[in-house]
Amino acid sequence: MANITKKVSWSSRPDESGAIGEGTPLLNGSEQQRHGRQTSEGGSLFQIGRLSTVDLEEEIVSDEDSVRGRPKEIPHNEKLLSLKFESLDYDNIENQLFLEEERRMSHMSFRCLEISRWVVCGLIGFLTGLIACFIDIVVEQLAGIKYQVVKENIEKFTEVGGLSISLLLWAALNSAIVMLGAIIVAFFEPIAAGSGIPQIKCYLNGVKIPRVVRLKTLVVKVCGVICSVVGGLAVGKEGPMIHSGAVVAAGVSQGRSTSLKRDFKIFEYFRRDTEKRDFVSAGAAAGVSAAFGAPVGGVLFSLEEGASFWNQMLTWRIFFASMISTFTLNFFLSIYHNNPGDLSNPGLINFGRFQTDSEAYYLYEIPLFIAMGAIGGLLGALFNILNYWLTIFRIRYVHRPCLQVMEAMLVAAVTATVSFTMIYFSNDCQPLSPDNTEEYPLQLFCADGEYNAMATAFFNTPERSVRSLFHNQPGSYNPLTLGLFTLTYFFLACWTYGLAVSAGVFIPSLLIGAAWGRLFGILLAAITTTGSIWAVPGKYALIGAAAQLGGIVRMTLSLTVIVVEATGNVTYGLPIMLVLMTAKIVGDYFVEGLYDIHIKLQSVPFLHWEAPATSHWLTAREVMSSPVTCLNRIEKVGTIVDTLSNTSTNHNGFPVVVQVSGIDEPARLCGLILRSQLIVLLKHKVFVELARSRLTHRKLQLKDFRDAYPRFPPIQSIHVSQDERECMMDLTEFMNPTPYTVPQETSLPRVFKLFRALGLRHLVVVDDENNVIGLVTRKDLARYHMGKHGLEELQLAQT
Amino acid sequence: MSFHTSCFLFIFLVAQFHTRVSCDVVDLNVLNVGDSPAAVHAAVFKPALGWSSSLSLLLSSFPEDLEISEYCSDLLHIFGQRYVSYVNCLVPAARPVKVCQNCFSSYGSLIDIYRNISDEVGPGNVSCSISLLHSDRLMVVYLLYHNLEDLWTKSGCEHCVTEGFLALTNDTLYFMTILNQTHSCFEKYHQGNHSELCTNCKDTYRQLNELFSRMEKNLTLCIDIEDAINSTRKMWSKTFNCSLPREETVPVIAVSSFMLFLPIIFYLSSFLHSEQKKRKLIHPKRAKSYTSLMNIQDKQN
Repeated sequence: MANITKKVSWSSRPDESGAIGEGTPLLNGSEQQRHGRQTSEGGSLFQIGRLSTVDLEEEIVSDEDSVRGRPKEIPHNEKLLSLKFESLDYDNIENQLFLEEERRMSHMSFRCLEISRWVVCGLIGFLTGLIACFIDIVVEQLAGIKYQVVKENIEKFTEVGGLSISLLLWAALNSAIVMLGAIIVAFFEPIAAGSGIPQIKCYLNGVKIPRVVRLKTLVVKVCGVICSVVGGLAVGKEGPMIHSGAVVAAGVSQGRSTSLKRDFKIFEYFRRDTEKRDFVSAGAAAGVSAAFGAPVGGVLFSLEEGASFWNQMLTWRIFFASMISTFTLNFFLSIYHNNPGDLSNPGLINFGRFQTDSEAYYLYEIPLFIAMGAIGGLLGALFNILNYWLTIFRIRYVHRPCLQVMEAMLVAAVTATVSFTMIYFSNDCQPLSPDNTEEYPLQLFCADGEYNAMATAFFNTPERSVRSLFHNQPGSYNPLTLGLFTLTYFFLACWTYGLAVSAGVFIPSLLIGAAWGRLFGILLAAITTTGSIWAVPGKYALIGAAAQLGGIVRMTLSLTVIVVEATGNVTYGLPIMLVLMTAKIVGDYFVEGLYDIHIKLQSVPFLHWEAPATSHWLTAREVMSSPVTCLNRIEKVGTIVDTLSNTSTNHNGFPVVVQVSGIDEPARLCGLILRSQLIVLLKHKVFVELARSRLTHRKLQLKDFRDAYPRFPPIQSIHVSQDERECMMDLTEFMNPTPYTVPQETSLPRVFKLFRALGLRHLVVVDDENNVIGLVTRKDLARYHMGKHGLEELQLAQT
Repeated sequence: MSFHTSCFLFIFLVAQFHTRVSCDVVDLNVLNVGDSPAAVHAAVFKPALGWSSSLSLLLSSFPEDLEISEYCSDLLHIFGQRYVSYVNCLVPAARPVKVCQNCFSSYGSLIDIYRNISDEVGPGNVSCSISLLHSDRLMVVYLLYHNLEDLWTKSGCEHCVTEGFLALTNDTLYFMTILNQTHSCFEKYHQGNHSELCTNCKDTYRQLNELFSRMEKNLTLCIDIEDAINSTRKMWSKTFNCSLPREETVPVIAVSSFMLFLPIIFYLSSFLHSEQKKRKLIHPKRAKSYTSLMNIQDKQN
């Protein structure tokens, strides 16, 4: 509190700055190091920005800060922005090195680059397809073994008694498998938890989520999703597939693996955020496409999530990756199914074909579909609200890894228990018939030659259950079974999402929706005696599934296309679109989509499409961070090291300024340099004195920066001797000489638009003489959002 | 091709005339059959023959290429007889299904004659397959035969019958023996208490079921066996009520409520004992202090 006050007083009284700054532990006080050099200049610069209001402001600032002065701790909530997230450097740094390299490159090498982009996209598609294939086969095999064991056990004990032992066996098996999956996620790579779609969404939005596209994450994700599906949780493997595709893309495009310490010396040009992010969008598309057999849906997913950086060629490449991925999956699955060369059975989740006449729909059914969309929106909103509270509870109280593993095991055990109890008490027996596709029919107390219908829904991997709900002939389920199933599965799925296991929410949502949709269809057929068209419950199951999924995730265009492609029937486009629209409208009235909720709860500075409405009165001056840590064009090494190693700040961009005339004059902006660049410069000791003494010293190239990418060493690992601290560093050829700037009167929406559209990381705010007065970063913009009571501001927090 | 067409036309004409004559209104001028010479010829020629004559008579009076040979008509005749006998066998065997056991031999002979018609070349290198099977749109013989062939495939009888339709397979015979044992056991005990039946016949019944599932795995099932096992199972489960009872409700409920209780304990204990995660707030540097919501609203109002 005292510190703040002092600091504030310093900012208007430049002369005292150096002395006081040292002791300030807060972020605000993090600028002191530079004042050793820049004392007067920084201070006066600051003053200019606020000269007119100094007196008035001063008191307010002091008062406020005295109230909020002590490092306040609050329980985690959704209205925070975490400091650990940074922006990607999407904007190209056009420094002299870059220009030189471009000059050196021939026309031919640009051609080669273009070709290698295509090659990379093909590889991404191929590898993503392979991973999908691997997951699919392993899940099928392992789940087959598990269900066979449990089934034999149940059969044995049905006869001689002791079914509670089967129940325990089932629960124990599930827990053991899930434990494995939860341990690798909770202890080795927590970022691999969940579906991965929120993380990829953030990445495509321009947020660098730590460790999200590493090889280790991929391995954990793949193993984790296998464990959680085999472990019988109410989850699907589609969301993780998207994440896996993204990791593959980020890995392949770099031509090396930092984790494995292997560098293949290829694709070196792509080692920067701009290219990587483009490839990641291709990878995400390939993942969607492999998961659902929906190449177009995949492309649209990428566009929907990262559309502000989109161009025609990129889209075409993404589409290429998607197609390759689908058909790689098909090809290998066709070999696995002993049917080599059959490319027509795509997707991990196969909805089966909706092409018979009885599945046609008529105009009079459209209102019914819309009504179902509304139901889906309501149920989805309920799902999201419940999951929101659960997630907050988890973040606050279940944050230790061992607790997370225990929780996942408990959920697995309870899932098995509930399923078993439902099956045990179900009286719904259906005759076995040859065209029944039940893999593991359970008889239990049904008459011989019949099977328990509840077991087809519970005693199966969720995907198979979805398919049987879509395609089993009318009369395979009685309404009570479906009702109970919907109810229990709804809560199970809601409880499961957000555990520390990698698992997606697509399939559970589809399953819930398919169950109530089918129920809807059956009831409809029961109340209207006329017309056989009503009697096709599979169609309503599909619509219900779409409605539920739309109600939970609230995706629009891409989801429509994905569902249409997965059913293989384009004529369903209209009803599915209407259903998803209705579900979104109804759901948005109550709460946001599940992924958005999770993004918020992770305190990610996510930039939406538009700045919040009614924010035009906010100007850049109010939005920006100020004062700014600036560097001189020719800066002392010691200053740079001190600036970078100041632990209380983690600034990544530093405006480079130049002294125009006298020492009292404000410094003029002449460029922008990033922390990563400075670190590389320090590592290579690019000091003016050294260059002078050693004339042979190799000139630094862009390649040196790329080699260090993406894991730039921390400043602590770079040793700078006392002598070297006195050296000078010339930043002229490394800095970005033309950073984007805005005048301080620019409105927030304008700043926002610039930032979002160009994928900026830093936006310098200058006055009319081009003097730096502030810096706008992603967190400054993301903190404004529309709350219940108008415009609200999120707080920054350490997480 | 031309043969085919004319033949087709011919049949069409016969049909036309037949209707007209039977109505006793013969108006040749109304007839509009195009300008094919053969057709005109037929139209003029036919009524003179008298319509009481049989179709074969009519056929025989046609030009050479339309006529079928003696040999072929013999084959057709035999086909008809065997067809009838097979169908005569099938109908009574429909319920309970015994179509494979009872009728495999007549199906075998039907197949033989059809093969004769379709493949073999008779005396004078006459092939009956074209004249009998594919000469017209309807293709009666072909259609009839294919219906029965479908039936045969659907019934899966080939799994129960040896090559050459000589006998039932050993598996099938064995199954039938066991089935009869089971049924006689049911017969013996079905008076009085069914629980007695359930315990006494359990062994043969189980043997039957095991045999069935073995055959199911080997894909040696035919409709007879499936139907027999179905009705036996129905008797067992529905008529005699020998299905397994749901007896262990209490232990199952106990175990599952215990399991359901675990998460409640888990969440309660983590709520009470786990330290709540707190976030340290950080105050960003701002040029002016519009950082709090209060100020935002002030400015808005």
